[in-house]
Formats: sequence, structure tokens, C-alpha cells
Amino acid sequence: MIPPRSVAAVTLAQTVALVPPLAVLATTATGGFALPLFAALAFALGWEGLFALMRKRAPEAHGITTALIVVVLAPADLALWQLGFAVSLGVILGELVFGGRGFGFVSPATAALSLLVISFPQVELAQPTRDLALATVPGLVLLLVLGLISWRILVAVLVTVAVAFALRGAAFDPAALGTALAFGLVFLICDPVSAATTNAGRWVYGALAGALIIVFAGDNPITSEAVVFAALMSSVFAPLIDHLVVLAHTYQRQNRHV
Amino acid sequence: MRSSLSHVTNPLIANNPITLQILGVCSALAVTTSLSTALVMSAALTVVLCLSSAVISLIRRHIPSMIRLIVQIIIIASLVVVIDEILQAYAFAISRQLSIFVGLIVTNCLVLGRAEAFAMRNPVWPSFLDGLGNGLGYSLVLILVGSVRELFGAGTLLGYVVLRPASDGGWFEPLGLMQLAPSAFFVIGFLIWAIRTYWTDQVEEVERPLVEERAR
Repeated sequence: MIPPRSVAAVTLAQTVALVPPLAVLATTATGGFALPLFAALAFALGWEGLFALMRKRAPEAHGITTALIVVVLAPADLALWQLGFAVSLGVILGELVFGGRGFGFVSPATAALSLLVISFPQVELAQPTRDLALATVPGLVLLLVLGLISWRILVAVLVTVAVAFALRGAAFDPAALGTALAFGLVFLICDPVSAATTNAGRWVYGALAGALIIVFAGDNPITSEAVVFAALMSSVFAPLIDHLVVLAHTYQRQNRHV
Repeated sequence: MRSSLSHVTNPLIANNPITLQILGVCSALAVTTSLSTALVMSAALTVVLCLSSAVISLIRRHIPSMIRLIVQIIIIASLVVVIDEILQAYAFAISRQLSIFVGLIVTNCLVLGRAEAFAMRNPVWPSFLDGLGNGLGYSLVLILVGSVRELFGAGTLLGYVVLRPASDGGWFEPLGLMQLAPSAFFVIGFLIWAIRTYWTDQVEEVERPLVEERAR
């Protein structure tokens, strides 16, 4: 693992990881692809710039990953103002009110996508295709090598979902499962800011996220909505999980030499 | 005169019951889905608050301190029953929309809070003004939140169409989020944030700072 030294380097790595999925989107998008992309970037970076100005800090561009993730999962026929609304709320409520990237506890992209779905009940997120899932793999490898996502979370989510499918006796299709999960798993659930950060906590966090995906999907195939809401709920619990892990560890250490 | 006026103006922003004292938030979440219910609730609460403060202040020297909460609640509850009956008689549709929340003014921390904190140890006229000021401060927040939620949740204000929805030939897509209780939390949160950004003396001290001050 080669951990990046700065928050900007993390954002850069995530942006690079997001390039292949975006390329797939650009080739398959039926409607305009550039316009939503520019709108999302403008809103995310605009708010970030405004807050930097208000707080008299150097401008940063972490909003770029938020915008890219939202554009990949937002439906193609979404009105631009709806996209702007979701990105604005996600970036402000999920990140900027806490002080910027790394200070909050939910991923701004997760917040934006869940607020989009809650606000406009008729909006349905784009469902990932096989090409998108395959395009996620290079990013997955890059982020794993850089230590920005944890293999423990990946394994915990996949095992939980697979076990739940097996228990239910449903037909288990690894390819379909991978397609449905890949993008959301790598860029939402494993987001380094919102995921658990202790090793034991990562197992619990991943199991929780996997269980929530199954609960939210119900009897239907796994949808983007289920993954987004599972990411939101599990990231809300991530600080508690980490706190309990640290408490348990302290307790263990205290009782080691009695 | 200035001091008695300050009883009314002070709770509007500088000592607002919702945004500074964080009292009465539950009803602020529940009744602000539309502006009309917010207005009626504001009026009902302001009337109850003024009268209960005045009455409690009037008999404050005769209330045994052991049972003062019971006496205060009985006075407030009687006033609330009267208001509820009046609403049911003259504004039945609205009173159905407000459902139990008029009755729950009894348990609104704001009313009991002002009775305990102010009316029990001040003369009648200042207590009445204090009730009025706090009622208006509460109303101000309720009306703001109610306007935002009705405007963006349904595209209307007091039932009049302001933003024409797409289903009706316009461009606006009503935000379902605004009709749900969490949105009131968001709006009140944004409001508190804006107020404390401008009036920085309202910012609370951090009890447990994340980064400790380095000792020299």
C-alpha cells in the first residue's frame, strides 16, 4: 500500500478511478452527457469555492468526485435544476457544513443521491450496466493499492449479500450481483471519509451495509437505490461502530495483566 | 417604556425561543407543512402564552412552590381547551389539520418554560409582554419554515399557486422531501446557522473541542 500524503492526492486518485466509468457513460449515454456533467461540476465546485471565500481559505476542488459519482448514477432524463438541487444539498449538508472534505461523516455523493430520491419520488436512479461494472475494476485496483478502500469492507459486503441470497434460496448469479453492486460498493460504501476506519469495525460496517442492501432491495433484484440508502445508513453508524471497537480494545488492554 | 418594549423585541431574534433556546421544536416540525396551519398554530400558541403568563403572574404570590408546576399546567391546560374549542367552532377544517398539536400546546416546553422562568417572579404587565414576545418569536420561525416548506413542497403559498407544477403545465417538480418532518430540521438548522453567522454572540462555546489548544 502506498498511502497518499494529502487530501488533494486522495481526491486526485478517486478522480482518476472515476475516469473509466465516466468513459463508459459517455459512450452509452443516449441524451446529452456533457451538460449534466458540467452542471454537476459547476454546482459542486461553485459551493466549495463560495465556502472557501467565506471562510477565507485556499480554494479546493474536492467536489469534483461528488459531481462525477452523482452524474454516473443520476438518471439520464433528470432536469438540470433537479440535479443542481441534489448536488447543492449533498455538498453543503454532507460536507461543507462540517468544514470540508474529511470532516463530515457521510459521503456527499451518497447524501446528494439519497436526497434526490427522497425529494422527487418519481425519479429513479440509473441502474448500473455490465460495462460500467467492468469499468469500475481498474479504479477498484488503484484505490486498493493506494489503501483508500478496505478489502475487509468489500469482502464483508459481498459475503453478507451472498449468504442472504443463499438463505433465501434465491437463484444466485454472481455476474448480476457484481454488476448491481460494483460501482456503489467502490465509490459510495467504501468511501474513505464515511466508512469505518478500524479493522474490526470495517467487518461490522461491511456486514451492516450488505444486510441493509438486502433489506432495502426486498424480493426485487438489487437496485441503485438500495445501495445508496444502505451506504447512507451504514455511514451514519460508522462512527458508533468505530467507537465501540475502540472501547472494546481499551477494555481488553486494561484486563490483559490483572 | 424601553425596558417593557424589550420584553417583546428581545425574544424575536436575540433570544428566540426556537433558534436560541431550542424550545418548542416538536410542534414546529409537525405543523409547518403548510403556511396556513403554521399561522393558526402561531396565533393559538401566542394567545395561550400571553394569557397563561399574565394569569400565573397575577397569582404568583399565592401559588405554593411545592405544587407550582401542577397549578401552572392546570392554568395552561384550561386555556388550551378554550382555544381548541374556539378553533373547532370557527375553523373546523384547520383544526382537523392541526389534529392533536393544539392540544399538545399544554406540553410545549416554551409555555411552561416562560411560566417558570419569567411569570413566577415578575409583575403582570411585563409577564404578558414576555409571553407576547416569545409567542411572536415562535411565530416568526414557524411562519418562515411554513412558507419555505409549502412553497417548495407544493409550489403554493396559503393555497395560491406560486410555482406551477409540471403536472399542471409548469416546470416545477414539488420536493417530496419538504413535506416530510426531516426537512423542517434542515430548514431550522439552516436558519440557526444563518442567525449565528450574523449574530456571532449566539454561538455556543465548544464543550469538548476536537483539537485541543496547545499548551505553551
